[in-house]
Amino acid sequence: MTAPAHLTLPGQPRWAVYWQALQARPAGVLLAIIAGSVWLALSAGAVPVAAADWRAPLADGPLSGSAYVLWHLRLPRIALALLVGAALGLSGALTQGLFRNPLADPGLLGVTSGAACAAALSIVFLASYPGLPPAWRTWLLPAAAFTGAVGVCYLLDRVARWLSAGSITGLLLTGIALNALAAAIIGLCTYLASDEQLRSLSFWTLGSLASASWPVVAALLLLLLGALWQVRRLLRAMNALALGEAAAAHIGVNVRHLRVWVIVLVALLCGFSVAWCGMIGFIGLVAPHIARTLFGPDQRQVAPLAMGVGAWLLLLADTVARSVAIPAEVPVGIFTALLGAPFFLALLLGARQRGLT
Amino acid sequence: MNASIPSGGWASPGLSALLAESGAPLLALSQARLRLGRQDFGPFDLQMAVGERVAILGPSGAGKSTLLKLLSRELAPSHGQVALQGRALADWPLPALSRQRAVLPQTHDVAFGLPVQLVVSLGRVALAHDPQQERIVEQAAALACAGHLLGRRFDTLSGGEKARVQLARVFAQLWDVRDALVMVDEPLAALDPGLQLQLLDAMLDYARTRGHAVLAILHDVNQALRDFDRLLLVQDGAVVGDMASGVHCLPALERLYGVRFACAQDADGALVVAARRNTSS
Repeated sequence: MTAPAHLTLPGQPRWAVYWQALQARPAGVLLAIIAGSVWLALSAGAVPVAAADWRAPLADGPLSGSAYVLWHLRLPRIALALLVGAALGLSGALTQGLFRNPLADPGLLGVTSGAACAAALSIVFLASYPGLPPAWRTWLLPAAAFTGAVGVCYLLDRVARWLSAGSITGLLLTGIALNALAAAIIGLCTYLASDEQLRSLSFWTLGSLASASWPVVAALLLLLLGALWQVRRLLRAMNALALGEAAAAHIGVNVRHLRVWVIVLVALLCGFSVAWCGMIGFIGLVAPHIARTLFGPDQRQVAPLAMGVGAWLLLLADTVARSVAIPAEVPVGIFTALLGAPFFLALLLGARQRGLT
Repeated sequence: MNASIPSGGWASPGLSALLAESGAPLLALSQARLRLGRQDFGPFDLQMAVGERVAILGPSGAGKSTLLKLLSRELAPSHGQVALQGRALADWPLPALSRQRAVLPQTHDVAFGLPVQLVVSLGRVALAHDPQQERIVEQAAALACAGHLLGRRFDTLSGGEKARVQLARVFAQLWDVRDALVMVDEPLAALDPGLQLQLLDAMLDYARTRGHAVLAILHDVNQALRDFDRLLLVQDGAVVGDMASGVHCLPALERLYGVRFACAQDADGALVVAARRNTSS
């Protein structure tokens, strides 16, 4: 890519033009990048999609092979990737704002691994239970994961308040302890699992968007819109929280109320994402950080932009995951971690150089 | 005290007159006790009238900040009562409370490097509708000598600049109300003498024109004696003295700090004291 010549001033590097455009209209540029990635994701995959396939649902009769792939596999999957990425980015932005710490994310709190832990228990112990009606089996895993996420959030709130009267540090330390506990239980489940259970367990703990379908997309869309409605009213108070809990209370912010809302929203968003897509790491950490680095630290901008960045990152990772080894599919969690882990290290290094750690 | 408040063009009715009629003090602390870990604090008793300026003095670790936290609702007393304008502090809704008292804490940290303009405007975050915000933020910053910092990021500021920005936030919070209460916890620590005087004058001037009362934890005895009406002496978690400010406070202050004070008068006739080693004990 090269910048249009008429936009480049003498002595100005070409990337500066893109940089200025990004700074001036971050939302617009981000939407354009996402649109481009969607187009890329639509054309990637084993089955090529023709223009006629777009009109296929209007015609009578059953869908042809490639039209079916487009309408029932690829489109819902792209939509799910965007929505889950947005949900993870938003919950990351909320968590970092609540903890006043750019290194916090829902995974650190134990929400994600709590959900994973409950799901692992259900795969190993409940799924083979003969008394379970077959119709319930498809809902078992999501329900268990969701219960796990909500359970961890409830525990976090209880234990942390009991430990140190509502301080954020207590909450973070509790989260770390819960993480260790969940990891131990998942390890135990892996040890006890049969071969078939183990495969399901490992594929699921690495995350996958293969379960995408229109009902799931619709449910997540509703949840995200509801969360946004509530978040919009919290963002001014989230900015105040940057001054510290005490100072936020002094300027009229009900910190307890704010904390409960943020925890409930993060539990809902993460629980739902983990329930259908497994553990997808690092999006919640990286997306808000990119948004903050590029567009400034005002939460009212960070939250929506982190959603955009998260959606774009997950779509990119998933497109790579399903097209790099056609017809097989690599778990998407591997690619988000491959992107995220070096970024996390760079972030730590940057924090060290600024003397923050 | 009330008579000295200038009546300006302020919208709210004179709270001082109302309170004077009802006999309720602006802030009242009665027999308040608190247990933090293994340390007992209190009983604290304190009454403040509208527009009064009270300095809290005491050695390090005496419980000055704890007292301020009780009064700012950061900590709740385990016994006794804290009331603002005759209403128990715990019964105030937080947004309403934030229009009646502002607190300048000792530490100035702000996470994420927010822009200074945003930090100052956060003083008014509790207001649902605030059409004057931009103007008030600019004026508050100018008064706190932070007008030139509005375009900067908070985390790039020096210690003294951060203190000015936080002071501007407190100014913005109570800019357009009357007869409120400003609480500050060692706001001038770690500033050079010139800036200390400048900011103290700005704060007292701000409070005087609006009828705000000021409650300040101070380390500098001279500032306390020169600019405050009353001194509240705190030692070992309890109030050991509550007196009108003046030369007669010096013996009590010498006992409080365990030092001797040498006195002099400067050219304006104001009292200047300097601490000496206590050789007698």
